[in-house]
Parts: sequence; structure tokens; C-alpha cells
Amino acid sequence: MSGYDLVDIEVTHEAADDFLDSLSEDGIDGGHLQSIQAVRLQAGQPDSELRSLKELDENSVKLLEHQVDAAYRALFEMDGKALLADEVGLGKTIEVGMILKEMHFRETDESVLILTPAQLAKQWQAELREKFGLDFICNYDDEFEDFDAHDYIIASIDTAKSERHRQTVLDRDWDVLVLDEAHYVKNEETDRYDLIDRLSYNYAFFLTATPIQNELTDLYNVVSLLRPGLFGTRDVFHQYFVNSNQETLVNRDELQDRLNKVMIRNRREDTDIDFTDRTVDTRTFDPTPKERELYQAVSDYVKGAYSQDQGQKLVLMLLQKEVVSSPVALKKTIEKRLYEQSELTHADELESILDLIEDIDTVTKQERLLDIVEEARDNVEMGRVIVFTQFRATQRQVLDRLASEGYTVHAFHGGHSSSEKEQIVENFEEQGGILVSTDAMSEGRNLQFCNLLVNMDLPWNPMRVEQRIGRVHRIGQKRDVFIFNMALKDTVEEYVLDRLYHKIDLFQQSVGELSSILSRLEESGTSFEDQIFDRLVNADSEVDLENDFDAMAVDLQEQRELADKLEEFNSGVFEGFDLGESND
Amino acid sequence: MSSKALTWGKAMTDAALAVTQSAVKEFTERYLESLGGTIEKKGDKWVVTVPDNEDTGLPAGQMSLLTGDDTNEEATGEPLHPESEFFQRILREASKRRPTGKLTIESDQAEVEIPQWLEGSDVEVRETQLTPYYDRAAVVVLFQVSIETVSEYQQESLRAIAIDGHSEQRLPELEETFLRITSITTDTTNTASQSAFSEADARSLLDTAQNQLMENVRTEIDEVHREASRAADTEVEEYRQLQQQRIQELEEERSKLFSKIDKLSEAINSSNQDDRVEALKQRKKLKAEYEEVDSELSDLHEQQDKGYPQKQKEIRKRHALDVRVTPLTVTRVEYERGEMDIELAEEGVIRTVTVGYGSGIGPTENVRCSLCDREFTAENPIQTIKDSLRCRRCTSSNP
Repeated sequence: MSGYDLVDIEVTHEAADDFLDSLSEDGIDGGHLQSIQAVRLQAGQPDSELRSLKELDENSVKLLEHQVDAAYRALFEMDGKALLADEVGLGKTIEVGMILKEMHFRETDESVLILTPAQLAKQWQAELREKFGLDFICNYDDEFEDFDAHDYIIASIDTAKSERHRQTVLDRDWDVLVLDEAHYVKNEETDRYDLIDRLSYNYAFFLTATPIQNELTDLYNVVSLLRPGLFGTRDVFHQYFVNSNQETLVNRDELQDRLNKVMIRNRREDTDIDFTDRTVDTRTFDPTPKERELYQAVSDYVKGAYSQDQGQKLVLMLLQKEVVSSPVALKKTIEKRLYEQSELTHADELESILDLIEDIDTVTKQERLLDIVEEARDNVEMGRVIVFTQFRATQRQVLDRLASEGYTVHAFHGGHSSSEKEQIVENFEEQGGILVSTDAMSEGRNLQFCNLLVNMDLPWNPMRVEQRIGRVHRIGQKRDVFIFNMALKDTVEEYVLDRLYHKIDLFQQSVGELSSILSRLEESGTSFEDQIFDRLVNADSEVDLENDFDAMAVDLQEQRELADKLEEFNSGVFEGFDLGESND
Repeated sequence: MSSKALTWGKAMTDAALAVTQSAVKEFTERYLESLGGTIEKKGDKWVVTVPDNEDTGLPAGQMSLLTGDDTNEEATGEPLHPESEFFQRILREASKRRPTGKLTIESDQAEVEIPQWLEGSDVEVRETQLTPYYDRAAVVVLFQVSIETVSEYQQESLRAIAIDGHSEQRLPELEETFLRITSITTDTTNTASQSAFSEADARSLLDTAQNQLMENVRTEIDEVHREASRAADTEVEEYRQLQQQRIQELEEERSKLFSKIDKLSEAINSSNQDDRVEALKQRKKLKAEYEEVDSELSDLHEQQDKGYPQKQKEIRKRHALDVRVTPLTVTRVEYERGEMDIELAEEGVIRTVTVGYGSGIGPTENVRCSLCDREFTAENPIQTIKDSLRCRRCTSSNP
């Protein structure tokens, strides 16, 4: 590559006088061989193995060859500064987990900062804890004080760059910086870029499946943060690698050579991951007239209350979710509201909702669940089924019902201690039957021995849904996976399922793919859940509502297509990127 | 961003040995025994006795070494693993103990190397027979090569260079043999700490080895050189932009000052005495400021026109490469030279070829095609021996 002036080279030959003097000395046999060996050992790589690997619990995390390779290369061949750019779904988080575990083992991680998009922070925390036994505090935890108060922090990048924290983050010398979804810092004119540029750290690992978002400059920016100077100046980079019409790449070999020093990209086709099929069966049921009446009453209440006081959004959202989960779940929240809040408006409305709940004798979803588990008892190994619900009250009722029908049942929720949770999973594996779980299960536990999952109710956040499915449909699952979604007709669940999830083929997306779709969507600042709720309460009519959800589906679809295109574009640029080989 | 030097990820090189736990244990055991020490192994715990010996700075007496993976809190003793203080200490000591010495390669110790021109061929090698005629000596030097620059990680590597004592030619095959037979699993008795080189010979061979080494690492240096130059260039460019920005700021400031002065001049002409005095004072102050800005600007412009030679020099100097070459051990290697008889067979025809051979060096002679007199090589291997020894080119052009 031309365009720069060469710097000087100074060569020093150290004298050998010291030991040439010893030429005539007598010595002991073998002494010289030992000197040679000692010199060779000194030059050797004491670190060239991942020594923490054997400390990992095989039940918590199954490592794949490409992941171990990536961790090794990032640590030992790239001097602890690497861009991990595997295609989606290949486990970049696992790679970073291994790297951090290894650094922890070697005690080179006095302070670690992991920056992620907001919606992924908690997931990172759970994965690192469950799979690698690494405890991080998250900026969303109650115990979180500030960036100078803890040594192992996972934070949303936007929190870190906020006025309040920025200086604290920058004042510190971090040992390790991990930056998830690194393509969000591609633009050198943003606050995010500026933050990373100014951060002080010794080791850094950036993650992205799509290093290039729009143009090759994105790659220049991200790589230059990691290894300034690798690509020279922006202008020279442009002249050398990009054809003047901006469309095509030139000197690709040289680009790849250079990238090889800092970037690791595994492609799905190069790994031996073999995912089994997943079949999704969405069953919508007609609610009983009483259930329909209850749903309508709650929806009207939520809508009315929200239009008067938007501050209650969270609890109203909760009611709207509970009514489709089970009447008991709803009952608890309403009672709490009635009896614990003295200055409550609409108390009469709530009272009448309670009456409606009391009136319900048949809970349709629960009855229909019996059909599914019955089917499973005959067709699935040890009749193992996992039933997910968001609510403890629903969970309890489902457990009672199933037990009364003579099924072996297991309960799993966030209230159990870590060892209890392990025991529950073990019992479920050994005894079979039905595990009824809240979303507490979504964090890091693997249940590949089961291949049938029922969503009693559906989280509005698609990531949550995928996390549930991910417990069973993951590397190591040998059978096809069956997912049953249960929804009542003409309810929010049916809208979400039908208009949103199915339109983007949600149930066929991996967490990685989803996160790239959602992150794009949530760039605007509103969360997916909020968008659903807003549409629900603001629609003037049924037709309006349908149109609104359709519009949201169109947005999603667009984001999905964009994400797909981006993937395609990146795989085009990096095609033939020879990353398995190192230069030695 | 920080640019602290990293020492963690030195690239593995040809001559370096992997520091596995088993290598650590093996080396430690042998070293302590060579000092006259004893080791009593009790599972993961070694009870070691170090004699009072002038060869070592290790404390004489008994001590415990913990070699296990599990750090059992109750066990007491020195940990022994790749990074443990004790192991690092004996490495330092052992490396300095006998940096010069002698090593002999016997014919039966070296692997028999079949000439490359036989490797890709259909002709079968039935037997090889080595006949040593005389001993030769070479020198093998282990060099530490360090390449350092501010923008790149320090690269350190260990290289072996073998030079024939007689011809002063480099012997790459001998380098490989040397590395193989001095690996950690070797406990050869064919080494002696006494070298038969005179100091003058050794010095001259060392110089030759050094020159060969520099040839050998040229590509690596070139690569780092390019990278460093690129990094320097980026920095120069950044500086240029920064100055450009400063120039713009100053130009704006100058024009602001200019219009202020202009306004004041108007005021001076049109106001009463008191105001005028005040305005004059003000104008004087502003004019001084203007001069200052203007002079800084013309300095900057001048520098810009010249291309900031001083700054460029400074930056490029800081990015300059520092290559350091240190010989760490010098070994006189004695090996045998002689002949190798290779018995070849093809469809019932048997012929014997004799080539010059050195133990640890491999074939030292070329053999030629009996038809065209071209040398046999890996690219032009032997094709048939039926009538005579013929190369692939001959047989493909004259079937």
C-alpha cells in the first residue's frame, strides 16, 4: 500500500561477549542442553492454552470447536484486542464468556466493563453467571451505584455515555472492555463512538455479526477503535480499498490480511452445528362467554384508566397481560390495587371485574392444555413437557390442575435458590412429566432433554419468547422441537401472535437475528412492549387496532429484511475470509 | 484510548517450546537432578532436596513443590506451574548456566531424510543405508529477536540459525534437527558443556549467523515497518487536521477582531472625548490581540505550506522500529557426513542410487536425470528407473 513515508528502523545487535568467554570453561554434561531448553521455554508461550476450560461445568455450557478457537485466537494471537464477528447464532457471547473466564483464571481482569444495547444487558448478566460462574453487576440492578463502585459491570452503552455517568466511566483505567453490537459505534460523529474512543483499557473485545452496516467506512471506524493505525488514514483506506463509485471493494486480499490480525469471523457453513427442526403450532381457542366478558371489561378499564393517567402504564399493561394468562393471575393484581391503594378512582369498575372473575368456572386455556399434555404422554419421551407462563398465580393453578389429573409435575420459578433450581431440573429429567415454569427459567438453563414446549401465555417481548424456546432448541438438542402457543381468539395475544410474530417468522429466528431486528426497531427509543400497549389502548375501533398491528408488522418486516440484507452484504464482503488459519 | 504495551500474547515461534504443565514438571525434575538434588514424589506434592552447590542460587535444603492443578488450601509449599515464581527462577538460572556447549548428532539419532525428488514419485524406496565417512562441525545459535514500535505490539521470537563450520553456509535442515533433538522430551547424553571452538572461530560464525538471521526475519520486519509507517501517517494526518482546525478558528477570531476594531474606529471618529479615549484604549488592546492572532496564523500557514517537517520528523521518529537481536546460546553441533545408498524398485527393476548425506542435514547432493541431465527436484521428481533414472519432464515429453 502506498501513500505513506516509511519510518526508520534501528537494529541493535547485542554482544555475545559474556558467554563467548565461557567457551573454554568446563561444565557438567547436560548443562548446556538445559540452557537451550530453558531459553526455549522462556521464549515459549506459557499462556497458549485455555486453562480455565476444565473448570467449566459441562452441564451449563457446551463449547464448540469454533468458539474455543475464537477465544484462543482473540487472547493469544491478537493480543487481547479482537473483533469477534461470527455470523449470527454461533455463540459470540460464549466466546467472550470463555475469554473472560480465562482472564479471570489468570487474574488479568481487575476491572471489566461490558457495554451492550439496553435490552441485552440482563441477558448477558444471566449467561455469564449461569454458564461461566462470572458475577457481574448490571446497571439495572438495585445494588448498582456507579461505574467506580464495582469492578465487574454490565451496562447499557447509553447509560454509560449519559451525562451522569460518562466522566466516571472515562476516569477509570479498565482492564477489559467488551462492546456488544459494536456496529452501533460505527459512526465517528456520535457520542457512543466518542465514549469508546476515549475509554482507557488494556484488552478489548468487540462483537458484531455485521461489521459493515452501510459502507466500508463502518469497518474502518470499528477496527480503528480497536487497533488505531491498522488501516492507516481514512483517506488512504478509502482510496485503496474502495472503488471510486463506492460500490465495490478492491484489493480484497490485502484487506482480509489486515483484518485477519484483528477480526475473527466464523460462518455457519464452516461449523458443525446441526440444528434440528422446530415446528410451531399456534392454537387459538374460543373463550367462553364469561371469559370474553371479562376480557372486554379489563380492556375497557385499562383503556379508560390509561387515558386519564398515563403514569399507571406498567400496572395497566400487567392487567392486560394477566387477563389472557388466567383469571387468578388477574385477581391478585386487582385485589392488591383495590385494597392497598386508598385513593383509587374506578374502584367500582375493579369490583365488578372481581365479580366477573369469581363467575368464571372454566378456564379454557387450562382445559386445552390437558389435550396437549395428554398427547405428549403418549408420544414424547417420558411425557416431558415444559409449560411456560409469565405469572406465578397461573403457574400454581396449572400445577394443581395437572397434579389433580394425575400428572407428575415440577414447579420452577425465580424464588428457588440456585441449588434448588438445579435439583428441579434434575428431577424433571429423571422423572419426566410436566415442568411448569415462569420466565425465571429463561436465564441460562439448558433443557435439551425435552423437546416439547407450551406457551400458556405469550410475552410481548419477542426476545423473551425466543429465550424460552432457546432452553430446548439449542445446540445439543437431537430431536425436532415442538412449540405450542395458546391464545384466546380476539385478544391481544392473538394480535401479537398472528399479526406480529408470525409475520416476521419469529419462531424461526435465533436470538442473534432477533436482537439485530429489535435493536434496529428500538433505535427510536420505544420498546417493543410499549409499542404494543400504545396501539392497544389508543385504537378507536377494532378495525383501527387491526390496522395498527398491521402497520407494526410492516415495520418489523422491513427491519427484518434490512437485517437479512445486511447479513448477505457482509457475507459477500467477507466471503472466502480465511479465518481458521493463523499466520504461524 | 490506551496504548499500554502488552506482554501477554507473544507470538509462538519456531524455536520456542510450549510451556505445558508436563514440560514444566519434566524440566524441573531434570534440572534439579542435574544439580545433584533429589525428588520424592507424593502425588501432586514433590519433596525436593537441593544440595549446597555453587551452580545454583536455589536455597540448599528441603522444600515442597506443589505440582497439581487444584490449589488445595491446606497444602503448603511452592507452586510449580508455567508462571510460578519457582519455575521462572530455575529457567533464568538454567538459561545462564551453560549458554555454550557441544552436541553430537549420530546417524542413528537423526531421522533418515529421503530426497524430495523421490517423495511424489511412483518409484518405491526399498531400503536406505548410511555410510558415515567423516565428522563435520556446525554452529547453531539461538537468537532472540525483538521488534518494537509504539503502534504495534512488541514482537519477540526465538530463532535458530545453523551455519556450517567449514563452508559457512546456512544449514536449514540442521536447524530443524537441532530444535527436534533439544525439545523437552530429550535427555540426550550427547551434549557436553565444553565446546571445541576457538573464540575467534565462534565469533566469526556468530557474525555469519547474525547476517543469515537478518535475511531470515526480513519479511517480518518489513511488515511491522509498513504497519508502523501507516500508523505514523495516520498520526501526521490527524495533526494536520488539528492544525487546519486551529487555523480556521484563528481566522474566525481574526476576522471578529478586525470588525471590532473597525467599529471602534468609527466610534473614535464620532464620539466625545471621554468615550474616544476609552475607545482608543480598547482599540489598542484589540490591535495587540489582532497582531498576536495574525502572527500565530502566519506561523501556522508557513508550517502548513512546508508540511510540518518538524512535527513529521518527531512523529516518525517516535514510530521508528527498534529491532534488537540477542544471541542466547551457541552450540557446536558435530554431525557425520557420508553417503546414503537408496535402493529403488519399480515393477521388478531394482537400482541403487548413492547420494552425499549428512546426519541431521539430509541429502547434500543433487542427482540428475540420465537422459536430459536436469536435476531431480520436488517439482521435477524421478518418474521411472526402468531403463535408467529419468525425470518427469523427459518421460512426459518422450513417452
